[in-house]
Amino acid sequence: MRLKKLKLGFILFFLLLVVACQDSGNETTNKSETTSDGLTTLTVFDSDANPDWVEEMETPVGKRIKEDTGVLLDPEFDIEGGQTKIPLMIASGDYPDMIVSKGADQLVDADALIDLAPLIDEHAPNLKKMLGEDGLNRLKWSEEDPSIYVLTTAPVDNEQITPSYGAWIQHAVVKELDYPKIRTLDDLKNVVKEYKELHPTIDGQKTIGLTMNTDSWRIQSSFLNSGFMMTGGSDDGEYYINPDTYEATLHYRRSIEKEVFKWWNEMNSEGLIDPEMFVQKNDQFEAKLASGRVLATIGPDYLMANPQQALREAGMEERMYGVYPVTLNEEFKNRSYQSNGLQVGWGISITKDCEDPVKAIKFLDYLASEETQIMLNWGIEGEHYEIKDGKRMIPEDEWEKRNSDKDYLKKTGIGFNFARFAPRYGDGVLDSTGQPFTTNTRELAIQNQTDTENEVLKAYGAELWKDLFPSAEEFPVKPWGAAYNISIPANSELQTINQRALDITKQLVPKATLADPSNFNVVWEEYMTALKNVNIDKAEDEYTELIRQKVELWSE
Amino acid sequence: MSRSYKLPKVSKGEKVFEIVNYIFLFLVISITLYPFLNVLAISLNDSTDTVRGSIYILPREFTLSNYFEILKYDNLVTGFINSVLRTVIGTVLGVFIQAMVAFTLSRNDFQGRKFVSTTIVLTMYFSGGLIPGYMLVRDLGLIDSFWVYILPGLVSAFNIIIIRSFMDGLPYSLQESAKMDGANDFVIFYRIILPLCKPVLATIALFVAVGQWNSWFDTYLYNSMNESLTTLQYELMKIMDNTSMGGSQDANMMRHNDEQVNRVSPQSIKMAITMVTVIPIICVYPFVQKYFIQGMTLGAVKQ
Amino acid sequence: MDLVTKKDITKKKSRLSVFWKGFKNQKMLYLMSIPFVAWVFVFNYLPVWGWTMAFQNYIPGKAFWEQEWVGLQHFIQLFQDERFFLALRNTLAMSFLGLLFGFTIPIIFAILLNEVRNSFFKRVTQTVTYLPHFVSWVVVAGIVTKMLSTDGGIINDLLVGMGILDQPYQFMADGKWFWGIVTVSDIWKEMGWNAIIFLAAIAGLDPQLYEAAKVDGANRFRQIWHITLPGIRPTILVVLILNIGHLIQIGFEKQMLLSNPLVIEYAEVLELYALNYGIGLGQFSYGTAIGIFNSVVSIVLLLLANGIFKRYSNQSVM
Repeated sequence: MRLKKLKLGFILFFLLLVVACQDSGNETTNKSETTSDGLTTLTVFDSDANPDWVEEMETPVGKRIKEDTGVLLDPEFDIEGGQTKIPLMIASGDYPDMIVSKGADQLVDADALIDLAPLIDEHAPNLKKMLGEDGLNRLKWSEEDPSIYVLTTAPVDNEQITPSYGAWIQHAVVKELDYPKIRTLDDLKNVVKEYKELHPTIDGQKTIGLTMNTDSWRIQSSFLNSGFMMTGGSDDGEYYINPDTYEATLHYRRSIEKEVFKWWNEMNSEGLIDPEMFVQKNDQFEAKLASGRVLATIGPDYLMANPQQALREAGMEERMYGVYPVTLNEEFKNRSYQSNGLQVGWGISITKDCEDPVKAIKFLDYLASEETQIMLNWGIEGEHYEIKDGKRMIPEDEWEKRNSDKDYLKKTGIGFNFARFAPRYGDGVLDSTGQPFTTNTRELAIQNQTDTENEVLKAYGAELWKDLFPSAEEFPVKPWGAAYNISIPANSELQTINQRALDITKQLVPKATLADPSNFNVVWEEYMTALKNVNIDKAEDEYTELIRQKVELWSE
Repeated sequence: MSRSYKLPKVSKGEKVFEIVNYIFLFLVISITLYPFLNVLAISLNDSTDTVRGSIYILPREFTLSNYFEILKYDNLVTGFINSVLRTVIGTVLGVFIQAMVAFTLSRNDFQGRKFVSTTIVLTMYFSGGLIPGYMLVRDLGLIDSFWVYILPGLVSAFNIIIIRSFMDGLPYSLQESAKMDGANDFVIFYRIILPLCKPVLATIALFVAVGQWNSWFDTYLYNSMNESLTTLQYELMKIMDNTSMGGSQDANMMRHNDEQVNRVSPQSIKMAITMVTVIPIICVYPFVQKYFIQGMTLGAVKQ
Repeated sequence: MDLVTKKDITKKKSRLSVFWKGFKNQKMLYLMSIPFVAWVFVFNYLPVWGWTMAFQNYIPGKAFWEQEWVGLQHFIQLFQDERFFLALRNTLAMSFLGLLFGFTIPIIFAILLNEVRNSFFKRVTQTVTYLPHFVSWVVVAGIVTKMLSTDGGIINDLLVGMGILDQPYQFMADGKWFWGIVTVSDIWKEMGWNAIIFLAAIAGLDPQLYEAAKVDGANRFRQIWHITLPGIRPTILVVLILNIGHLIQIGFEKQMLLSNPLVIEYAEVLELYALNYGIGLGQFSYGTAIGIFNSVVSIVLLLLANGIFKRYSNQSVM
């Protein structure tokens, strides 16, 4: 017994010793410092996770960056979007050299950030070139304080290959019905109805007409957003901004949107939507789509990636989905491609604790230069790509690696690893030699489509799904950007009202959808009254004011 | 000795009870085993195939790749060592201190009893909040230190009260005779009371150990900048977060085609992470379990 | 005997000198407890300065005296909010159900398990039932939703198969089922874990008591009734008192993960409300006000429960 205790004591003592060693061995600081190999360490807090980061930047691209700039980044990637850590930083007053935030109000209120405007003016020609006068103008904080605190990290002039929102319909459906015109919600309804009557079951399971992914926050991006997406609105979050008067309306309050939700209600009463639409979890939604028995869904592209992939791997090409620019009627256009102009609000800042802000801004400027941008997308010449006849080419075997090696980005340092710290050229932007900066090209996208997909697209006279959608040129650039990027003052009533309106909406719009058609109007009125009761008019006025301020600030 | 050895006459009613009890417990087992088997099956299933759903207790397309996917991350070894260290040290220190305080509270004659118990019990029902808590830890110089895992939660009110309620059941006569022999209170606690409390100490040790093993938020708050102090749970949290962001547009910016987007479905990886967390607990469990499940025989050794 | 003499002394001498005398006698006991009182004072009581935030419009980074003081504004706002009362109702409903079933079932389970004679079966059962504790709520909520699905969910299949229902019923879409679903899921997940405390208490009972009962011819039920239950009564009562204190602090994870837009009226609980309208919006002050409300109610409940049990059962936690 005694021996046993002695042994236990000894083990404990040993463990304490190990701990003691660990404690003293590693002193970390938040300050920039110079490492033994002459590099300046810059600490950076990033609100987003990064699975591909390699310590000490020991990747081909990372090494090149170290050589070129003499900077070693020491990042912390957050797992809570900065929501917890940034307030703690502010409360304690200990800042890293740079912070990538999703809205910097709290930091600016606490005087934690330095004005980047003079630094950019003096040291950052590449940033100036990339963003332009107009872009830089958009970075200004406010009318009273025209400093630049946040350098956006969004892509510039990005034009996505996959449309970001639309109605997704199985290829098998349109094929069997001989490629009907699909332009309005009623077209969609008819197609679903017709096919469902022809095939009440698919692979022995009941056919589901249309289902939606409404698990937690996804209900906003899929179901609730259908209100404005189907009525020619551009994505401004919960508000619709009148493009002429800049008046903000909680988008559900537009009378036209009632028609959209009435359509949902009809779909339900005719048994065309999945009765579990508002109950199912994300994985149930994905499993249903992957089983091939859901004819259509409506929503953003990123909710479709998993099921599409699963269908593809299971060899069920016919059951994969195409995306169509459906709207309430032909008066409206799908505005997925309408440009917000330069997205600002989220981005990187330099803090007052940074000892060498010039070094930091020069580093960011380096990332924005044409050569670096090419490197971040294509890799290092001769290693990851070659130049043939003046054109960048990725050799076959390298392509193979890019596509099949999960760790490709981690091993090379290409991509979002570094591109995340500065603004970047988006898909479709051309460099000084007329070649695209990114490797996401039209040709490549076409090459990656399945045969079925190509067949369907051909029948509709297009090469890519994008071609079916109204292009960016058809719409003016939104002078207020994207409304959801405009930050709302902390501790304001607007914030609380928005949260209340969202809670009410999540509860009552599904209720209206599932209501008996004769009852739809009653429930909708109930919803409208509930919104009025939380003082939504006041919120709209304040929001309008915020939008107008932005437009004014940016148009100077 | 255990009473299962001598079976007196067993009445019919008792036999029925016995059978019903077995059947009932068997049902309970089959129901409660399911979630765990489900997690195991999904963790062993091909990640893309998992999206198709309908996996119950057996994987459809068996693979270990989800586990390899986790293991490729750096820092897991450091994290594991630190997790073991904090679990062992936190448990030994915690249980000892909690038992000691519980002992003083079990003494009806202790003058300070009311004050001590009230002060400690109330801590269960309030908290100063995130920011004050963080500032305190910072002012105490515990940021960037291993001790932040051990010290703040050392005096757990719940555990103390549970241990005390167990000690209340012990006969006071044991202590009195020791007092006669001139032993001081600490000696009485250490020599006489502690060995009698094995079942409850094992339980509390289990609670503390599981709590220590599973916590990651303190690592995240206080030691996230210091890799040598990371813990397994925090590293796993990060992996979880990394795989979840597969859907976000920005993250996929450089992932070149659908082939590559979301190659790993978060589902299977998440389940594998759960398994990695639970397996060590399951391995250690039988050693703790014997104390409170066979308490009778061990308890009898006391005299 | 000890107590009697002490009472006598109390009458005669002044309180202070009694204290000093006792202190000298019991200095070891003081030494074994007071440092840890100091400990909780530092780690638990000191941060309570943060409660001042509830009376300010707190902005991180500003010094204490620079904050804007707003008095009881946040509390007034809280008590005027219908949603808060909705959350309070749901919280109380689910915690009472939890107390009624989630608390008693593990006790019954522990006793039944203790009656198993086959040691191997006993250990396996115990291990298996505690496993779901380690499966996260995300996973359990997913399983529950799938089991209750109208699209091939096992519960509906069974009920329809047995002829109890004509067609599958959407349990998850009906608010009146929600509290029950949460309670049952919680029991499913935590029963084995919560039973451990009671198993340990049973394990601590003196085997001689059972031997004696057997000699007296007591059968199993009488043994349970007269020995096991009274033996673990102190533990049961203590856990009960502590749980009563936690009546309005029941977390939010399971409710959030099991809920959906159709049952939100029954699903929102206080801690989720605090998250959505407090910290989630960066409104630390409002969040703190809710926290204070929770703490005050909890402590009042605890003191009540403690007082009542002290009076009627001579068992208490303080």
